[in-house]
Amino acid sequence: MRQFFPVEDLARDDRFVQTNMAERMSDTRSAVDLQRTAKSRGASNRLTPDRHDASDAARSLMHGIMVGEIQALEGAGRTAHDFDAGDGSEGTIPFELKLDMARQAWDEARHVEISVKLSDWMGTEIGQFQENTVLFEAACSNDPVLRLAGVNRALEGLAIDVFTQMKEFGQLADDPFLEFCEDWMLADEVTHVKMGSDWLRRVTENDPDRRAKALDFQRVVDKLFSFGGARGESEESPIGLARRFRELAGFTDDEVDTIAGMDHDALEERKEMVRLARETAGV
Amino acid sequence: MTTHVTVMPEQFTLVAYDANRIAAIVRDLASLLGLSNPMAVEVDERTPLSKMSAVVAGTSSDHTITLRLQSGALEDTKHLTNFSEAHARRSLGQVMLRAKDRLRPDFADAPDDLALTNAQNTAWDVYCGGRLDRLGLDPIQQGYRYDFRNRFGFSDEVDCVFDQLWSADDLGWHDLPTVP
Repeated sequence: MRQFFPVEDLARDDRFVQTNMAERMSDTRSAVDLQRTAKSRGASNRLTPDRHDASDAARSLMHGIMVGEIQALEGAGRTAHDFDAGDGSEGTIPFELKLDMARQAWDEARHVEISVKLSDWMGTEIGQFQENTVLFEAACSNDPVLRLAGVNRALEGLAIDVFTQMKEFGQLADDPFLEFCEDWMLADEVTHVKMGSDWLRRVTENDPDRRAKALDFQRVVDKLFSFGGARGESEESPIGLARRFRELAGFTDDEVDTIAGMDHDALEERKEMVRLARETAGV
Repeated sequence: MTTHVTVMPEQFTLVAYDANRIAAIVRDLASLLGLSNPMAVEVDERTPLSKMSAVVAGTSSDHTITLRLQSGALEDTKHLTNFSEAHARRSLGQVMLRAKDRLRPDFADAPDDLALTNAQNTAWDVYCGGRLDRLGLDPIQQGYRYDFRNRFGFSDEVDCVFDQLWSADDLGWHDLPTVP
């Protein structure tokens, strides 16, 4: 069977239209109030049921979760398959790590099914929104340790934030299924992050350079997953940073602070980019 | 008679929309809905959100109806910043149905669109959604049902109210549920 699949070769039927981060960021419209400052905080952008567009925003996010789960399944499956069993050096991974990746693929497959059913419940059609392939792109490295950093810690870390937000949405709306389903998936994601953190430490135990390289890669992916500030601790960000669950997953306070800082920078960069684009367009 | 329609902006810069195409859809929908008022469409292309509102200057057929839409209401969600004919027909149909309702005496008490509560807004949307469905514009009923449950509660009783609203054709403002 073929190893190392590029993102262009992912199998999708004609309901799906794919996009990438560059395309996404070239859209210079913004839902963020560019005039707002920390002192003039008004209405929150947080995804809660009292937003006028709450259901539309929740449907879009749920579709993003569904395609994210498909890509996480593909990423974990590839990592289980792409590398031979060994001691973790020279393109090998410990056999027990393969088993963990297989278990994760099983979890993600279940999450895809749950997300499809939740999308149906919320009134979304499969493929109704475009699919951003940035998640799978983080799972394409030739070094399995970089995949652990990019997928298990950055991607699954983002999943913790997103599921926490959706769980709260379901709780506030009194949706009998949403909160329940998100809570169960959230528990799996915490496990996946923990698995990634543990394996990253074990495999790089005697190779500090490789560990540093992996953590650098994680920071790059985390910055990308800030989605221009769509996730962050500011009320301007629709998705919050789930500190407590990240802590349970093995993130240190310093690591979460670093991510929060990157989210803040990404939001400010995005606002500046939108401001410049508007000036150029004269709108 | 062809409805007079203006669209602002005439040229879009942040999204790939065509003002003439939007005007043509509005004229077509006006004919379908039996609206002969002049129409002024204002699209805010600076935001990807999809809020819509209609302002009716008076209740006679020569009063201008102003339709305000954020760009997301006309967008192809599979190709962001691009125009979707089907989405535009549903959004414009919905906001034009509201405008048509406002021309009736029994909607005289309805607050301005932007002053509506979330529950009022959703109930009116559902009343419009059912009529759009019967006009063949294919709104996703389950989406409206989810919105309605979010505002009024997740229960069989609420679903019954939804079904009544969806199938109704001749309601007044005070027939719409307002308090969850």
